[in-house]
Amino acid sequence: MRNRWDIWTSVTGIAFALLAVLLIIPLGRLLWASLLGDDGGFTLKHYRAFLAYPYYSRTIGHSFLVSGLVTLAALVVAVPVAFLLARVDIPGKAVLKSLAILPLVSPPFIGAYSWILLFGRAGYVTTLLQNVGLTIPTVYGMHGIVLALTLNLYPFVLLMVAGALQALDQSLEEAAQGLGSRPWRVFWTVTVPVTMPSVLGGALLVFLTAFADFGAPMIIGEGYQVLPTIVYSLFVNEMGGNPAMASTGATLLVLCTTAILLVQYWAVSRKRYAMTQHRPAPPVRPRPLVRGLLTGCAYLVIGLSLVPALVVVVTSFFESRGPVLYPNFSLGNYREVLFNVPRAIANSFVLSSVSTLLDVLLGTLIAYLVVRRRSLTTAALDSCVMIPYAIPGTVIGVAFIVAFNKPPIVLTGTFLILLLAYFVRRLPYSVRAGSAILHQIDPSVEEASISLGVSPLKSFAKVTARLMLPGIVSGGILTWVQTITEISATIFLYFGAWSTITVVIYRQVSSSNFGSAAAASTILLVAVFIPVLMVNWMMGERAVTAV
Amino acid sequence: MSTILTIEKIRKRYGEVEALADVSLTVQGGEFFTLLGPSGCGKTTLLRCVAGFLRPDAGRILCNGERLDTLPAHLRDIGMVFQNYAIFPHLTVFENVAYGLRARRVPPAELRHRAIEALRLVQMEPLADRRPDQLSGGQQQRVALARAMAIRPRLLLMDEPLSNLDAKLRVEMRTEIRRLQRDLGITTIYVTHDQEEALAISERLAVINAGRVEQVGFPWDVYQAPTSAFVAQFIGTSNALRGTVVGTEGEWARVEIGGWMLRARRAGVAAGQVLAVFRPEAVELLPEGGNIPGATLGEGVVANREFLGAILRYRLRLADGSLIHLDEHKPDPARLRKEGERVRFAVRPNDVMLFPADG
Repeated sequence: MRNRWDIWTSVTGIAFALLAVLLIIPLGRLLWASLLGDDGGFTLKHYRAFLAYPYYSRTIGHSFLVSGLVTLAALVVAVPVAFLLARVDIPGKAVLKSLAILPLVSPPFIGAYSWILLFGRAGYVTTLLQNVGLTIPTVYGMHGIVLALTLNLYPFVLLMVAGALQALDQSLEEAAQGLGSRPWRVFWTVTVPVTMPSVLGGALLVFLTAFADFGAPMIIGEGYQVLPTIVYSLFVNEMGGNPAMASTGATLLVLCTTAILLVQYWAVSRKRYAMTQHRPAPPVRPRPLVRGLLTGCAYLVIGLSLVPALVVVVTSFFESRGPVLYPNFSLGNYREVLFNVPRAIANSFVLSSVSTLLDVLLGTLIAYLVVRRRSLTTAALDSCVMIPYAIPGTVIGVAFIVAFNKPPIVLTGTFLILLLAYFVRRLPYSVRAGSAILHQIDPSVEEASISLGVSPLKSFAKVTARLMLPGIVSGGILTWVQTITEISATIFLYFGAWSTITVVIYRQVSSSNFGSAAAASTILLVAVFIPVLMVNWMMGERAVTAV
Repeated sequence: MSTILTIEKIRKRYGEVEALADVSLTVQGGEFFTLLGPSGCGKTTLLRCVAGFLRPDAGRILCNGERLDTLPAHLRDIGMVFQNYAIFPHLTVFENVAYGLRARRVPPAELRHRAIEALRLVQMEPLADRRPDQLSGGQQQRVALARAMAIRPRLLLMDEPLSNLDAKLRVEMRTEIRRLQRDLGITTIYVTHDQEEALAISERLAVINAGRVEQVGFPWDVYQAPTSAFVAQFIGTSNALRGTVVGTEGEWARVEIGGWMLRARRAGVAAGQVLAVFRPEAVELLPEGGNIPGATLGEGVVANREFLGAILRYRLRLADGSLIHLDEHKPDPARLRKEGERVRFAVRPNDVMLFPADG
């Protein structure tokens, strides 16, 4: 009933309060820190400095260049494979599609680390070739970042385009043919325009993710700095760090990602074609030779993106002494990890589980408010709750430090700061997962429960929440997976005992303890892959949209 | 019979749109009462106000003399059948029906008995253990009905419950719903936009248009003696022609319609611009040289004809270009009129209703 206090009013209040404390205040403090002069007055000198010195300013160009190249490479790799998966009869297609999700959930820094294991200074392939007298350029730098990120992120394009092609009703292409178009013309005038929004959407998602990524450039970039890494360098500089410049870099970073997101919004939302019917075109079955060739291509591309995980897992069982690995089976790396940093592993599991639980809880309630209690207030809530989506982890990291390292709220050095950072970063995903499933549930089902004599709140719990459960669970698992692999905010916020498994991996890689890094990475990958494959199996292809 | 539900001057606005404008109605105990109107007329809004899902801006709703509109929906003890059935997909048929009984803490033995009884009434007892996704639309409809009836509500509300069924099943189900309602004596308010359904099923009905009640009455009253041009045209098929009253003779008025003089019952309207409305079955084809004393004779050209089984419906184009429908019952195949043929017809003045033209 309107105009009456109920539980939903409190949920709205709590949600707004949380967003204010965890989002508005930190971002405001971040902006303030970037505009604060030494004398305590307002100044633009940090921005001037950032843009004037090439050491800083080039990172903006680097970020755009890397993200652009990654996007381009992802399109080149993914679009043809998407067509193959959607339109050609390829054996084992379902398995391939499940496997294609795995790179998306494996953290890019593990990918980068794996390429170092293969093509780094002491990499397996590098050494192998050196032994036969061949020298290849190292993998460090821009091309390494592009390689690692492309193979991590191209499935965004692949899955979105394949999905669009499958949603494309066959009659549309038949109609064009019936109107006298040749197949090639049908392709260009019907298939391409209708799938274009998905191509664009996938491409921009790749661009945004690549732009915000911290781990891969940090590990494989070496001297090649991008925006997130320069922010980190500025922050942890041996000279004591430069919070003002770091805040400036973080502000510029969030301006860029927001701009990219707005472009995405503008480009994708304007052009969406609603399919009234759903009768996908049957896959064509080419001649055996061609079919074999195309199958090989699809397997090659998806196989290539799984190489990093494979390399890391195999390496984890090698005997190791620092950066030197011996191909003898050994559990020494695991022993080392489990004995030296059991706390970090436990931290990761506990932190991501608790923050995911909170996300799911509040996210579900917010989703309900936004979908079922439409008003100006809930529309505003919907917009606010989506803000973290535009904010890279690096920015959350800096902003939380700047905001919560002095009274009135001091959180730095506690587990709470990590928990809250994770919570607010992933809240949009829970809200989206909740509202997606809620849109499929007819409101009258809840009304039926009320009319049968069950109070509105109980009806929500007994009927609506119960029916939302599959969506909530799979959304929760994906949130959990994204949280446990988090590094870009964690690296700023962890302190001493509150280190996480991702930090351990990063530290071990940095100090060339490749063996224990591989073991820790394997533990992380297993923890991530198993639930994701389970969700995929549970939800089928719908899981993709929630990633 | 006594009044069970009283709706007093209910008003509801959505922004600028007046969904309900001072609607007042009474429903008798055990009655089958229908709210009939075009989509967007406010009938569902009114039903949802009674159910408690919407709160009226003004007015009162009383049930057996006590205020209903101040009570939260779940305490109103009103059964509702939704357009899309709203079956709980995660519960079996039995559990769907038992849901409201569990909320009322009915003891297990009685609960089982009452749920099975409700399912038996709608002939769904054998499917009690099925899951809803194994049911057809008609079966889901029956479960929804059983679920709403099992709580023995003081009122049963039905919101276009048959609109998702195919035509044949729709007719079967409406007969069955009416039989059940009569047997159990449940006061029922039924919402539909289908005037044929409303006429067939209702004891009384209210025709609603643009948030207002146009007419309340028995089906034959509403059909034969509509009180407004809207009702006359909305219920059944009607011929509605604009004309001017040019004179009166006793109880008759003479209406000029594009050069044609039509005699009509005066009934209230006696001057100026009018809408003359008459049913297709009131128009009679005349044989060559035939005549009906007192009736208005007319001439038209057959524009097309439709064979509808029991009747043959002609569309005639009059001299001024307007079209009228003419129904011939038990048509003689040997004497079918062809398209383009000129025919003569008669309309009895008693069958012509006049309404103010601006309506």
